[in-house]
Amino acid sequence: MSKKGIQSKDPHVLNLVKIVGVDPVRKSILYKKEDLLAYDCDGFTLRKHLPRAVVFPKNTAEVAAIVTYCHENDLPFLARGAGTGLSGGAIPLNGEVIISMVRMKKLLSVDFENRRAVVEPGFVNLKLTNSISDKGYYYAPDPSSQYCCTIGGNVAENAGGAHCLKYGVTTNHILGLEVVLPNGKVIEIGKDGVPDQPGYDLLGLLTGSEGTLGIVTKITVRILKNPEGKQTVLAYFDKVADGSKAVSDIISAGIVPAALEMMDKTAIEGVEAAAFPVGHPKDIEAVLLIEVDGIAAGLDEQINQILAVCNSNNVREVKAAQSEQERAKWWANRKTGFGAMGAISPDYIVQDGVIPRSKLPEVLKRINEISEEFSLRIANIFHAGDGNLHPLVLFDARIPGESEKALEAGSLCLKACADVGGTITGEHGVGIEKREEMRFVFTDEEIIAQTEIRQVFNSKNLLNAGKLFPSPGRCVEVKNEIAAAAAK
Amino acid sequence: MSLREMELKQEPACAPKTLGNYLWSDLPDENKWADCVHCGMCLESCPTYELTGEEQHSPRGRVHLIKSVAEGKLSVNEQFMDPVFACLDCRACTTACPADVNVGGLIEEARGQIRQAMPLTGWKGAVNKLFLQELFPHQNRLNSLGSLLKFYQKSGMQKVVRKTGLINIMPKHLVEMEAIMPKIKEPVRKKFNDADVIKAKTETKRKVAMLTGCVMDVMFSDVNEATVNVLTRNGNDVIIPRNQTCCGALHVHAGDRETGRKLAKKNIEAFKDADKVIVNAAGCGSMLKEYHELFRDDPEWHDKAFEFSQKVEDISKYLHDTGYEKPKAEMNIKMTYHDACHLAHGQGIRQEPRDILLDIPGVEMVHMPNSDRCCGSAGIYNITNPDMAGAVLESKMENVPEDVEMISMGNPGCMLQMAIGVQKYGRNQKVVHTIQLLDWAYQKEDSLKEGN
Repeated sequence: MSKKGIQSKDPHVLNLVKIVGVDPVRKSILYKKEDLLAYDCDGFTLRKHLPRAVVFPKNTAEVAAIVTYCHENDLPFLARGAGTGLSGGAIPLNGEVIISMVRMKKLLSVDFENRRAVVEPGFVNLKLTNSISDKGYYYAPDPSSQYCCTIGGNVAENAGGAHCLKYGVTTNHILGLEVVLPNGKVIEIGKDGVPDQPGYDLLGLLTGSEGTLGIVTKITVRILKNPEGKQTVLAYFDKVADGSKAVSDIISAGIVPAALEMMDKTAIEGVEAAAFPVGHPKDIEAVLLIEVDGIAAGLDEQINQILAVCNSNNVREVKAAQSEQERAKWWANRKTGFGAMGAISPDYIVQDGVIPRSKLPEVLKRINEISEEFSLRIANIFHAGDGNLHPLVLFDARIPGESEKALEAGSLCLKACADVGGTITGEHGVGIEKREEMRFVFTDEEIIAQTEIRQVFNSKNLLNAGKLFPSPGRCVEVKNEIAAAAAK
Repeated sequence: MSLREMELKQEPACAPKTLGNYLWSDLPDENKWADCVHCGMCLESCPTYELTGEEQHSPRGRVHLIKSVAEGKLSVNEQFMDPVFACLDCRACTTACPADVNVGGLIEEARGQIRQAMPLTGWKGAVNKLFLQELFPHQNRLNSLGSLLKFYQKSGMQKVVRKTGLINIMPKHLVEMEAIMPKIKEPVRKKFNDADVIKAKTETKRKVAMLTGCVMDVMFSDVNEATVNVLTRNGNDVIIPRNQTCCGALHVHAGDRETGRKLAKKNIEAFKDADKVIVNAAGCGSMLKEYHELFRDDPEWHDKAFEFSQKVEDISKYLHDTGYEKPKAEMNIKMTYHDACHLAHGQGIRQEPRDILLDIPGVEMVHMPNSDRCCGSAGIYNITNPDMAGAVLESKMENVPEDVEMISMGNPGCMLQMAIGVQKYGRNQKVVHTIQLLDWAYQKEDSLKEGN
């Protein structure tokens, strides 16, 4: 419980308290080491750093005042939602003041007629669907962490999810934003959720900017009518190559499933050892979780087509969910897949590559080699339909050197994705984790074009510095090397 | 191997075992946090995180801090104590966790370290000692307290105290508690003191032993009586072992694991001849099933405790598994069900009590949203952390449907807390134990038969 008096000697802490006030039950600011330590990382645990303080604003005005204060006093700062990000976007690398958005968690309005809702950034993703499901509506982007991640964080990371194959990622569902710019000014973009505003597409730019261009304080999102029907199928394959061929064949047959997920043998071992086992056979190499939705009349036809494709690819067994409970159980098993790795390994890092679907067997083979090379187990969870691959490198941070090895193995997995014409992140963002890997997919000029945009918004580079792009020093070094090589 | 590494490997003959800055006996279990990958899936399940949004008051944050002490980054001090003791120990995070991390167990182990490092002093220490050491473990003293309370209620003193405003000298949350104090009746252990075996009313099919609980038997002896009635009606001989004592859950929650172990040993001995130990208090049942966790450093007692824990069953699960007579009398009650944390999250028992209630003719069950959310009772949490407990209770009461007559549950702590909620927020529901309702249905059936 909070004590009323603030016992900090840091003048900045005392000034920030004046902005957010003192709350009798909850702390409005954290500054003691014991409290701050809980904020030294997010869902990415390989880099840790203590923040200077954590402040809890209650409204846009307070966010703007905090940001203005930081801007004027040259204090590094960043915004944090639930802290479930997997690339370290909310880690206070520079001892930032963390602005925690979790107390701005109201559902401000729902407009069923125009199919939109306005939420505060700390509102939890799944709560939106839960709040409108009785009227037959839902919010489509469904990252696996949707039980607890915030929509503000989803905007920052342009979060995807199992169903983005058919419905698109967060950016396809954002209609308007209220943003506090890094200098403390408040702007609104995509006013009233009217699509196609003239001028630059700032909505597109801000969504997925990983908290480097501004802090979102209000979000207008699109809501969708529940599909009339849904059918869900599990398919077990003895050979992972057969499973991935089935994925390609389903898509080339012209079917667009709502979700098309795959787990490999090690991933299956993890989810079966954890809290939501389904009873997948232990000796298969791949399981596919396929869901189709839409007008009820057409679903059987789609499912039959999918079954035919699976059969022609040597499927061992296929089964359809017989009830909503069974379907929910299958999804819980899949959606808790990352955390489930805790049951078979003390630590993991999850990678987030994207590859052309047809290259899956090739990339999996390469990942297998990396696994053997580093003597680290790698599980693969795959949004197979859209080619978004999540290799999970399992390791034990207590063994000296193993974290570094895991990082390197993870990086090589991304390289493998980039090498076959893919990219290094589908939905988890770059954060700290994949800064250097940006070079796998962008030239120097392409990176500079982007950092110059950051410069326009975030001129002092106080907001979430050191994320998303390779460090400038390194960039210059590389340039110099190139120049030196050219001179020769 | 370098010389330095060699030195580190050679343990001195009598070095006490420590772990980072955990310097006291009964060290926290490293394997429990090794499973946590910091994914954050637990956040929304946690009532204290929901209220504060503060990471150090979340399950993941607490595990992170507990681990940090073992890594030497933090010491066991006041600031560390705050997040660890603000936990309700409701175990909702255990249900939410994809990797089955036993956060509750870790919290209890960390509290054990804190209490050894910083024994409670001053009035807090005195109150703690009074309740945990001098009162709960001693059934005779509890019974005397019960008699006193009974006297307080019957003599007219309660009226005087309430009317004169004398009551206002107590802190607010104790006033709230006084207001809903159930009518004290004769404890079951007193009532059946002489009977070695309470015989089944029908042909004996099974023999069970029953834990009467410390507070349960004083405050809610009618629930114990209902439990005996229901068990004997369904072909069970019931034994109430005399040497049983308080289960120790409150002590373990408070970090007093030593007393917890003493009480555990006494109960394991008291029930050593029993094949089945029936419990009607979710908190006690959960503790009994986890006794072996207290003896991680004592293999002999660990095995005994584990064997004992296998015999323990909650009354609702036991009835569900062994079968029970379906009542025939029509009850006509519109009700809702609250999942006690230590029943739903602690023991995974959710459907069984609901099935029992639905088997009673005329029971209409109204769904309570977030029914497995803690009510804020959490052992003696409502006494030690009244503000947080009050806030948790408020959000619980918001979820209680308006139009029901009863709220049923399987834990005495919840019953007291929910009764406070009903009183405080001007609601009119009756708070009952699941088994009470079954017993009433049987009684109604019998009286109808007699009437015919």
